[in-house]
Amino acid sequence: METTDELPAAPHTIDEFVKGYEESGTLRGFRCRNCGLTTATWGLACSRCGKPDLEEAVLSPKGSVVAFTILHVPGDEFLNDAPYAYVVVELDGGGRVTGWMPSVRSESDLTIGARVRYQQNYKPGVQFVKEADAPRAG
Amino acid sequence: MRETWVVGAASNRFGKMKESGREAATRVSMQAIRQSGLEPKDIGYTFVANCFGVAEHQAHVGPLINNGLGIPDVPSVTVESACSSSSAALHEAFVQVAGGFVDAALVVGAERLSHLDTLAATSYFAIAADYPFETHNGATFPGLYATLASAYRQKYPTRDEMFGAVAVKNHANAARNPHAHFQKEISMETYLASPVIASPLRLYDCCPFSDGAAAVVVAAKEFVKSPVAEPLVIRASARSGSVTDMQDRPDLLGLPATRTAAAKAFRQAKMEPKDIDFLEVHDCFTTAEVMALEDLGFFPKGTAAREEFEGTTARDGKLPVNASGGLKAKGHPVSATGASQVVEIFEQVNGLAKGREVPKTGTALAHNVGATGGSCSVHIFTRR
Repeated sequence: METTDELPAAPHTIDEFVKGYEESGTLRGFRCRNCGLTTATWGLACSRCGKPDLEEAVLSPKGSVVAFTILHVPGDEFLNDAPYAYVVVELDGGGRVTGWMPSVRSESDLTIGARVRYQQNYKPGVQFVKEADAPRAG
Repeated sequence: MRETWVVGAASNRFGKMKESGREAATRVSMQAIRQSGLEPKDIGYTFVANCFGVAEHQAHVGPLINNGLGIPDVPSVTVESACSSSSAALHEAFVQVAGGFVDAALVVGAERLSHLDTLAATSYFAIAADYPFETHNGATFPGLYATLASAYRQKYPTRDEMFGAVAVKNHANAARNPHAHFQKEISMETYLASPVIASPLRLYDCCPFSDGAAAVVVAAKEFVKSPVAEPLVIRASARSGSVTDMQDRPDLLGLPATRTAAAKAFRQAKMEPKDIDFLEVHDCFTTAEVMALEDLGFFPKGTAAREEFEGTTARDGKLPVNASGGLKAKGHPVSATGASQVVEIFEQVNGLAKGREVPKTGTALAHNVGATGGSCSVHIFTRR
């Protein structure tokens, strides 16, 4: 019989993921040692191949938009921020994350394929800015 | 497996309920049982579908419903699968009856959120998405479906009017459905003039928040003997799941769970899409209806929007879709929706869908999605 000691360990918790980007500007993710899937979503096993063999992966802050919407009617955490863009971003080096772009306020401001960069902010959630607008990494 | 029938199905009027979810659920359950010709005491198990009962400060509502039906000793359980809760409950009832554990089972879904303001209701809905990875990053349900729509429209250039056609059609159908939340037609001009909620989705692309309750009675053929109403034979009861998060889906052009649930259902029923006379699909947004028709296998990818625009899916078209008005216009009381799709099919088959009859009622399919496709149910029904 398997004991709890033998359960695979997740390299980080959901809380550590949130604190990672909110407090230290790092997007923490997982990489499957078996199939190579890279993702931010928490789990004990790979959602693609099922193997419980995930390792810590620091995700790239840069990527390209694969899908987006301009939200005019937000949820309660974002009441004073609408309109803003909600984006799915394919990160350089693998992995996708969702996030929002406070500075993008109309559909003509963004296209699928646009280059974006993660930027830490005092507001909630993973936030992106257009790569051209991002301050240069020191 | 025993042949299993839907022998009764009832719904209240969707929209704003004055009574509690518990009272409404008990009322539609009594109606569905009476319609079936069975007695409450014939029910062997009650499956309650409810997602946001906490908004009414009431959990464990099954025994309260059974008590109100005069059958307090009957076991019950609450099933939660977001917007697919009552089709999930129907599946559980099917398993119990087809498997021979009970002879008859009650499925009832109810939801009430109208006593909350829009912001609170939106926030309740949002807890059915992946909270830390989607909602906390700015997502709402319209936002998530709009994101899928943006990927779809990038790949398959479509005109706004093609999605507008879905809204116009479903409102025209709901105008003839006494259970519907919105009993009024809209014009393409009204659709196009409505404000953007989450681009490219306008207000009239979106289903409303509705209260509502719907119930279905399921029983074994050998137990019913001589049914009062024309029963629906359950030929397939299939469910599927998929990766929930947008960020983990390589393909954003549809819902993978719809494809896998449909494949299972058609295999179970030994049927193909061309065998289906009419269907109820999960159109929480107009774009969701278009993608569902493709994922279910009725049209090739990228072509359903044109079919909708050309009238193929109208009530009198070649393939009537959402003759009830769909979630879009009949309304979407989350946990009552799956059961209400069966109510529509039952009413069509029994000649109760006055003024919105579809031409052929030999076979029907119901498709119900949980959230953005983490769950999906597909049921296929035929006449005896």
